[in-house]
Amino acid sequence: MRKLVVYDTLGFPTPQDFLKFSEGLKGAGCDIYEVGLPPKYAKYDGPVIRRSHQTVSKFGDLSGSLKEAVEVSKVPVVVLTYLEEHLDRLREFLKSLRESKVEGVLFPDLLIDFPDQLEAVVSKVRSEGLKNVIFTAPSVPDSIIKRSGEITDMFLYYGVRPTTGIPIPVDVGALIRRVRNMVRSDLIVGFGLSSESDLRSALRAGADGVAVGTALITELEGRGVTGGLALVRKYREILDGA
Amino acid sequence: MELNPRDIVPEFWYNIIPDLPRPLPPPRDPPGADFSRIDLLRDIMPQEVLRQQFTVERFVKIPEEVRDRYLNIGRPTPLLRARKLEEKLRTPARIYFKYEGATPTGSHKINAAIPQAYYAQAEGISAVTTETGAGQWGTAVALAASMFGLKSSVFMVRVSYEQKPMRKTIMNLYGADVYASPTNFTEAGKRALSRDPNHPGSLGIAMSEAVEYALKQRWKYLVGSVLDVVLLYQSVIGLETSTQLEAVGEEPDVLIGCVGGGSNFGGFAFPFLGHGTKARLIAVGPAEVPKFSSGKYEYDYPDEAGLLPMIKMLTLGREYVPPPIYAGGLRYHGVAPSLSLLMQEGRVEWREYEEPEIFEAAKLFSETQGIVPAPESAHAVKAVVDEAMRAKRDGERRTIAFNLSGHGLLDLSNYESMMKRFKS
Repeated sequence: MRKLVVYDTLGFPTPQDFLKFSEGLKGAGCDIYEVGLPPKYAKYDGPVIRRSHQTVSKFGDLSGSLKEAVEVSKVPVVVLTYLEEHLDRLREFLKSLRESKVEGVLFPDLLIDFPDQLEAVVSKVRSEGLKNVIFTAPSVPDSIIKRSGEITDMFLYYGVRPTTGIPIPVDVGALIRRVRNMVRSDLIVGFGLSSESDLRSALRAGADGVAVGTALITELEGRGVTGGLALVRKYREILDGA
Repeated sequence: MELNPRDIVPEFWYNIIPDLPRPLPPPRDPPGADFSRIDLLRDIMPQEVLRQQFTVERFVKIPEEVRDRYLNIGRPTPLLRARKLEEKLRTPARIYFKYEGATPTGSHKINAAIPQAYYAQAEGISAVTTETGAGQWGTAVALAASMFGLKSSVFMVRVSYEQKPMRKTIMNLYGADVYASPTNFTEAGKRALSRDPNHPGSLGIAMSEAVEYALKQRWKYLVGSVLDVVLLYQSVIGLETSTQLEAVGEEPDVLIGCVGGGSNFGGFAFPFLGHGTKARLIAVGPAEVPKFSSGKYEYDYPDEAGLLPMIKMLTLGREYVPPPIYAGGLRYHGVAPSLSLLMQEGRVEWREYEEPEIFEAAKLFSETQGIVPAPESAHAVKAVVDEAMRAKRDGERRTIAFNLSGHGLLDLSNYESMMKRFKS
């Protein structure tokens, strides 16, 4: 079965609605829940996700919300955060995630800004009892994509556009076919993948699932939790029908 | 073996991205961005050009219409052996040069202007704009635009505009409007003029003006260097050279080119990397704009105003004001991301030379081969001379190939001034 990965920023749109949304995800057809920690510098996030970071920055310390979200969502939770911000205290940070019962962690800047630390970070994550989700992009050379496919634990996350939520014209099918032939791990495609036609081309090209974020944030902003969950159900139908 | 031009002009451009030793850092919006510059690219560039900017295919099909234009302007350009230079230097090295000055606009720039004008026209755009420093890129855009029936406006750095009136004449002949930048048509221009009413201009400011003007007029902006897609289009140079060298049974040991933003160097040398060459690659720049020796490898804006996304490159800083050296095309503050990465990895070596040495090399090349090199290209010549002398010292018959990216027949006033200053 194809996997649906749903993104929300920790505490968005409000801490209460964030939990309500988290609680409804499994029923709406979400397989994996990707929770984004608001970063100091959202290197690869587009304007919509950046706006969600600003919104939640008003709510103060949200570390309790993460633990609660893990409990109520009843699907595996992967935390998305930039490695750059945790380099000083990586072990402590990973420990805190484990204490929140988070399953895995995804650093979108690992291969781009710290390619030499790939193996070291992967081992550290495992030694703290967490799973790795390696993030790759089209600009990653073949040899490194192959290696990432071998060492990622949950799935390989492939971001097809240079930033989230901006429909830069790319040939989604061609980008995915290139990677599909190189890796055996589950391949989840996201980053700027929002239109129905993008989703269908991704699946046709061999993706094992998709990750959606920007469109959901927009829906949560506009129609709240009900709208957000309805959109999750719609994505589930596309995945099951395609 | 005699080759037909159609056999030499390639059918595909070559893209280095999948063959780089490590991931190419993607363009970024700055921290705390008030708007997304990446999103803005969609309004600025023709869609197909933008798609190709982010492509990871190794080979990208050259549309037949573009290939026809390449043939029509005289591609393939000649690959010549500099025998008289070899004799003069008494070197055992064999020196070949790809002569991009043989195009109608006198430099390699036309290779990247043609596809962008073609895609703009195919998307129903009626006019395009760009910036130019020394005038080579502006001339190329003016011609490419007229080839595809587009209107064009060129923002030319004021100091070049005043020093090189003939460049403006050529652009006007091709049908372009040419403005001395900074102008008061744009906010970026007005800001510069308010700092200094006699502002000499810079490539970064002219670039900001062209981008802003394109947005205002709903035209498209054509990009002349630095971005990966320009290096992709310029790969015709290296692909042709590779075929031409093979036809004479040669394999290069050293590949040399000058670097402004990196498009002629990348276009010339990268296809050889794609073939797995073992050759040494040498990028050459001016000591007066020391981006190789003093530049930092970090995210910076390609343009002065910061309207374009940040890219990771060797840079002297977007506000860097270069000294008024004669090689206008080499005064840019940064180096193309893929070339910067290869320099960081040590795959591409670099040299920086001072103006008097460049003048000597240009004179030597003119006297022996008869071609007056563009002052930019004379930087490559200087490195070639050094490498040829090194081959002599080592007693080795190395094959040196370089890109003579343009002729200097429109730079004669600069040469005149150098002859006076550097009289030996």
